Amino acid sequence: MQEFLQYLFSGITNGAIYAVIAVGFSMLYSSTELINFAHGEFVMLGALTLVTLWSGLHLPLVLAFIVTVGIVSFVGFVFERVAVRTVKKPDHIVLVIITVGASIFLRGIGMLLWGKDAYSLPGFSDHQPLDIGGATLLPQSIWIMAIVGAMVLGLYYFFNRTLTGKAMRACAISKRAAWITGIPAGKMVLLAFMMSTGMGGVAGVMIAPITMSSYDMGTILGLKGFCAAMLGGIGSLWGAVIGGFLLGISEAMGVGLISSSLKDAIAFVLLLAVLYVRPGGIVNAGDVQRF
Amino acid sequence: MSDRENNPELSFLRIDNVSKTFGGVQAAQDISFKVSRENIVGLIGPNGAGKTTLFNLITGVYTPDNGKIFFGQAEIQGRKISTLVKMGIARTFQNVELFENMTVVENVMVGQHVRTMCGFWGAVLRLPGMLREEKQSRIDALDLLEFVGLENVADRRSSELPFGWQRLLEIARAMASKPKMLLLDEPAAGLNAVETAHLAELLVKIRALGITLLLVEHDMSLTMEISDRIVVLDQGRLLAHGTPREVQQDEAVMTAYLGKA
Amino acid sequence: MRLRWGKNNIAFMVLFLVVVAIGIWIENQYYLQVMTFIGINTLLALGLNMLMGYAGQISLGHAAFYGLGAYTSAILSVHYNVCPWLALLGAVLTVSLIAFVIGMPTLKLSGYYLGMGTLGFGMVVHVLFREWSTLTGGASGFVGIPPLELGPISFLSIRNYFYLVWFILLASMVICRRLIDSRIGRALRSIHDSEHAARAVGVDTENLKLMIFVFSAAMSAVAGFLYAHFVSFISPGSFGFLASIRMVTMVVIGGMASIWGALLGASLLTLLPEWLHAFADYEMVVYGAVLMLVMILLPQGLTRGLMDIYERSRK
Repeated sequence: MQEFLQYLFSGITNGAIYAVIAVGFSMLYSSTELINFAHGEFVMLGALTLVTLWSGLHLPLVLAFIVTVGIVSFVGFVFERVAVRTVKKPDHIVLVIITVGASIFLRGIGMLLWGKDAYSLPGFSDHQPLDIGGATLLPQSIWIMAIVGAMVLGLYYFFNRTLTGKAMRACAISKRAAWITGIPAGKMVLLAFMMSTGMGGVAGVMIAPITMSSYDMGTILGLKGFCAAMLGGIGSLWGAVIGGFLLGISEAMGVGLISSSLKDAIAFVLLLAVLYVRPGGIVNAGDVQRF
Repeated sequence: MSDRENNPELSFLRIDNVSKTFGGVQAAQDISFKVSRENIVGLIGPNGAGKTTLFNLITGVYTPDNGKIFFGQAEIQGRKISTLVKMGIARTFQNVELFENMTVVENVMVGQHVRTMCGFWGAVLRLPGMLREEKQSRIDALDLLEFVGLENVADRRSSELPFGWQRLLEIARAMASKPKMLLLDEPAAGLNAVETAHLAELLVKIRALGITLLLVEHDMSLTMEISDRIVVLDQGRLLAHGTPREVQQDEAVMTAYLGKA
Repeated sequence: MRLRWGKNNIAFMVLFLVVVAIGIWIENQYYLQVMTFIGINTLLALGLNMLMGYAGQISLGHAAFYGLGAYTSAILSVHYNVCPWLALLGAVLTVSLIAFVIGMPTLKLSGYYLGMGTLGFGMVVHVLFREWSTLTGGASGFVGIPPLELGPISFLSIRNYFYLVWFILLASMVICRRLIDSRIGRALRSIHDSEHAARAVGVDTENLKLMIFVFSAAMSAVAGFLYAHFVSFISPGSFGFLASIRMVTMVVIGGMASIWGALLGASLLTLLPEWLHAFADYEMVVYGAVLMLVMILLPQGLTRGLMDIYERSRK
């Protein structure tokens, strides 16, 4: 029982992180129909930037958090303007490869800036780990849950209650109709990119204290986050959240009950299962991308 | 029903109580009519009447929720498109869908796909039978291009053709599968008066070859001029079916459609 | 079409002569080795090009077939003492079968979903290479893959292996050319241009896509065989996500739907790391930047892109 709880806690923690990454993917897809294969690298940038700002420059945590997310969003801004806006022939293969190229490029930048070292960070607070039913719950896990919760609620509010959010959803459903009613689609796409990459940055910030951050951490995280988004239903906010947690828990259970060596395969097996059985994912997001 | 009406040979194509709903919208409702061989049948009706839906039902893109479609003796609803093409049904598209990166003659040669045989090994090993088939394919394709009047641009990239010629190319491509029935979705859309007249001549020539034509059209004068029979749809229902004269004088049709024009 | 056939034949003859000449005159073992790798990579790019360029289907996990070919041949020749040439046959058949089974459900997906499915498949296979140690040697790799020989000819020397690879490659290029210029090739290109219309004229798009998927997988398997028996040691790292991306890059940069594009792309991508050796740290940055730039500015790839520029400057 104790072991089970331990796996559950670790699964929920990782699940929360996958959820944030997945939300970033889904959000961008629902606004632009683009899958950003470089998303994982923004997570890496978030993590390593926090390392530099908080651990290196000793900025206060909250400030470091905000500046980090700001920097990562800015990189997203540049990425959209340079690599996406300027594309001459925007069909699937071309866009996929551009984002793949960006992923490699950003990883290279990461290596140049931070080297091949792995960095660790302390938790956000000094609290002692909690003991629940014999299993340990790190205070960082609670921080993560809180931040993810706040973020999800914030996004829900944004997309359903604010004008900008609704405008973005309108663009996702029909760019032409949105244009006719005066919504600047181009700006919406840019905003979507910045928000999506910003979220990647948040995920990176959250994950830095519980893992070793290095320049190559982004690839597998991005891929898994993407699997989570598909699992839940690409383009759906709740789908991404559900998918993230489901993936986290499945991995933890798989590691605990079956074998740790196949952990990485779990995400992709689930991805394949979703693709073949129910491409809309758990929430069955159809062609109508709703956020 | 008389013996004559039951004779399958005379009802070359038979639509029997066909319905199709899309997410709450009844695009086709209980449609029934027959088409005789070597006729030109015009399918008209206001926008949203269900013409393209009916087209897609006949050509195998959709499967009807209810009802049956008979082509000759055989039931064809729900069958694979490639099967229907082999059986002799071909179509063109409302927005011309050519193979843009291929040449004009190559487009037509793809149309011959179901009537040719060369497979993977035949191609790789260059079997003599396959080489002969390839040569004949090209000759047949050029003949078809000549039939529609495009023989001079055979090796041009199809995307380079002016719109009117692209329509002709699509017709040639559809004919390449040696169809018994050709369905044309708004073949005159976007054509000027001269091109439309040329199209009318072409369609009559095709009928003379023994091919039955079913066309969806908005161009009233063209449709009335060349059609043997007209089918009128409105809001998914069959409104009238008869000769152009009969349909033009039909009360329901006049109020629903022609009267307003 | 007749004229193009003639032009291509000449081009192949020229390539044949160039290969023979290189083998005779180049003494430097390192250069020969690099060119052998270019040959193997071109074989990979060629297979994938048929799938992506002509049939228009994307695959982000093709290195799995490359690896499966390499490992199958290695396992057969080392664990089961099978003659390497039979091992080649075994590898091709096994990989073709796997591709057939995987392809059937996967090719029903469209656009992005197809890319994702192939990605997932590639990752799962990679994990299998890494974790199934009893069979594959696991993360530490597989050693002792035997060299090739055919009767009196030994392919132990780099020069001979260079010839072997390039002659197999040339044969493959001829096969691909024949395929493209045939009814099958036209049907494939029609699927690429408009799958909708291709289906409407009666092309069995599902079967064709599957056929070309299996064909491209088989070519990757042959490349895997050639790679394994050349380097005699293989490890999972060579067949992961990055390897799949490298394959896609070769195809895309060289130019999709172009046999010579495969050669160009493979050459560039094999030589680039060599040139960047001095700037090892900048390799990824340059690689990524090149990929992005080519896709943004010359999405048709270098062969067609450069040809377009050339033609435009002449006007």
